Amino acid sequence: MNVNVVIVGHVDHGKSTLIGRLLYDSDSVTEGRVAEIQKLAEEFKKRFEFAYFLDSFDDEVKEERTIDTTGVMFKGKNLYTVTDVPGHKEFIKNMLTGASHADAAVLVVAASEGIQEQTGRHAFLINLLGIKKLLVLVNKMDAMGYRQEVFNDVKQKVEQLLATFGYRDLAFIPGSAMEGDNIYKKSGNMPWYKGPTLIEALDAIEVSRAVKPLRFVVQDNYDVEGGKLVVGRVESGALRKGDRVVFMPSDVKGRVEKIRAWGAEQDLAEAGDSVGLVIDCAPKRGDVCGPESNPPVAVKQFLGEAVLLGDRLGKGETVELRCGTGRVKCTIKEIREKINSETGEVTEKNPAHISEHEAATIVFSADPIVVEKFSDIPELGRFVLVRGRNLGAGIVLETKA
Amino acid sequence: MDALKELENRSIYIIREAFAEFKRPAVLWSTGKDSTATLWLCREAFFGKIPFPVIHIDTTYKFKPMYEFRDRLAKEWGMDLIIARNEEAINAGVGPDTGKFECCTQMKTQALMQCLAEHKFDALILAIRRDEHGIRAKERYFSPRDEDFKWDYKDQPLEMWDQYQSITDVGTHTRVHPILHWRELDVWEYVKLKNIPSNPMYFASGGKRYRSLGCEPCTFTIDSNAATIDDVVEELRTTRVAERSGRAQDKEKSFTMQKLRALGYM
Repeated sequence: MNVNVVIVGHVDHGKSTLIGRLLYDSDSVTEGRVAEIQKLAEEFKKRFEFAYFLDSFDDEVKEERTIDTTGVMFKGKNLYTVTDVPGHKEFIKNMLTGASHADAAVLVVAASEGIQEQTGRHAFLINLLGIKKLLVLVNKMDAMGYRQEVFNDVKQKVEQLLATFGYRDLAFIPGSAMEGDNIYKKSGNMPWYKGPTLIEALDAIEVSRAVKPLRFVVQDNYDVEGGKLVVGRVESGALRKGDRVVFMPSDVKGRVEKIRAWGAEQDLAEAGDSVGLVIDCAPKRGDVCGPESNPPVAVKQFLGEAVLLGDRLGKGETVELRCGTGRVKCTIKEIREKINSETGEVTEKNPAHISEHEAATIVFSADPIVVEKFSDIPELGRFVLVRGRNLGAGIVLETKA
Repeated sequence: MDALKELENRSIYIIREAFAEFKRPAVLWSTGKDSTATLWLCREAFFGKIPFPVIHIDTTYKFKPMYEFRDRLAKEWGMDLIIARNEEAINAGVGPDTGKFECCTQMKTQALMQCLAEHKFDALILAIRRDEHGIRAKERYFSPRDEDFKWDYKDQPLEMWDQYQSITDVGTHTRVHPILHWRELDVWEYVKLKNIPSNPMYFASGGKRYRSLGCEPCTFTIDSNAATIDDVVEELRTTRVAERSGRAQDKEKSFTMQKLRALGYM
């Protein structure tokens, strides 16, 4: 099984160090890389850091901070793609980029500092992204004499914070990424801790994929040898040869005559499959297809929760909304509640605008587009907002608003 | 779904997104394993025929078998092949002796810039992978480059949930990386599964093979007895030697790769 794990937390709490440690202890580091990093550390007159396995930009080494997200792979019981994200507020868009594909998250909290600004914000954001599997590493226990009361104190406060985002009954692991305690190897320094190491806790994660209705997004129409094809991807559920389906917002219907890949035909396409359909109707890029018995609905208005990464977004403003392959103009009809993305608290009702890094519940009014409630079909319940560049990201709370 | 199928599906989705979003895409082909697998993925995406040009950057310093392999496959697969060469630099005698950084910049980056200016491509599909190099691990699937080919790595676009930024201003282009999430081992397993032709230099003779192919003066063999694809797959399962250990331009100085890439190197 391939599991995507994102490591989140405040700046300097040890995210990159943790991943470097995981790579090193799992023998995933190539020969020469350690020597290369030693040389680098000497050149920059710094001490050897596990973080340098990840921080590859010269600015990252010089400034001792992660600027952009990195994906690395290593093998435990599962094949892990572990994503490092920056802990600085100014790099939140890079954090979201890294976290958006994660199945699970590890929140790193330094025992020496406890909860800091990005601890809360990252927890808020991974919850917004719908990441339910969360582990907490209470890091830098070495700096606190491996004391149980320090761990208990941090644990209690973090538990309280996470409960406000709906996270309960989480595994808390005391450890040190720098020294290797309870990361890949069991530590002898904390005999009072009886729980799993971080890798044991990760190996125990099960990624379940719920049964959902068919949704297929249309990318394009191709004219190839052997006829016309509608190409796209099954986002959820399954598509079978012979199925009667509806495409929205184009509102065309047809029967799936063939499901094609290059040089092959198949009877079934499942979530994740990129295929071509031979079908007796002509849908367009941006359409979503579903079964006649449970068709997708094109909406003109919906309620979403979004976090803003651009300058400022005001009521009445028109931006582009992207969901699946759909792209439409949408207007901010109403900003219901402004939310502090660090604490999850509602700070203002019906504000005229929101600013960078703030979140809000927003009523969008848009040209017809298929969106689904995030809790029903997450693949089509998440969107990005674009104004020149990508401006924000969010999820659909209600398809009727 | 098995792991290779999952990788392939995602790559095909990305290639089709690039084709739908850009007016004039092209794919870069070094004739190496990664870019040949990427051409194969393009054929999968478009049911056999690649609907845009294939660019080969010819530094004139490639190995002879690479040129032979290129010409054979271009014909067999019916490619619209563009050979990009920086004639001015070639005539001026630029080579590895001029300095590796300078040579790579002139013969590769400049040659590509000239090709883009001539053909007005707005997207280039490239076969880089995260696990090849720390700098490549920092890349996006859709990565914008400005008029001067510069990569603004300090301010990369938001890229969530397969929503790629595809805005291209006049004179700029976007690098599209459909196999960014593949490992070296995945590429070889895919080559085996699909029976994709590969350059014989990848297979050992006399205890040596090439693991990564580049220009003749700057590319070296590794010790290996892997004489078949199966042997290569087996070797990669256990090796701790870096893939690009035989590539000189990566290691002249710290951050050479970053500097090359910031200037538009692949």
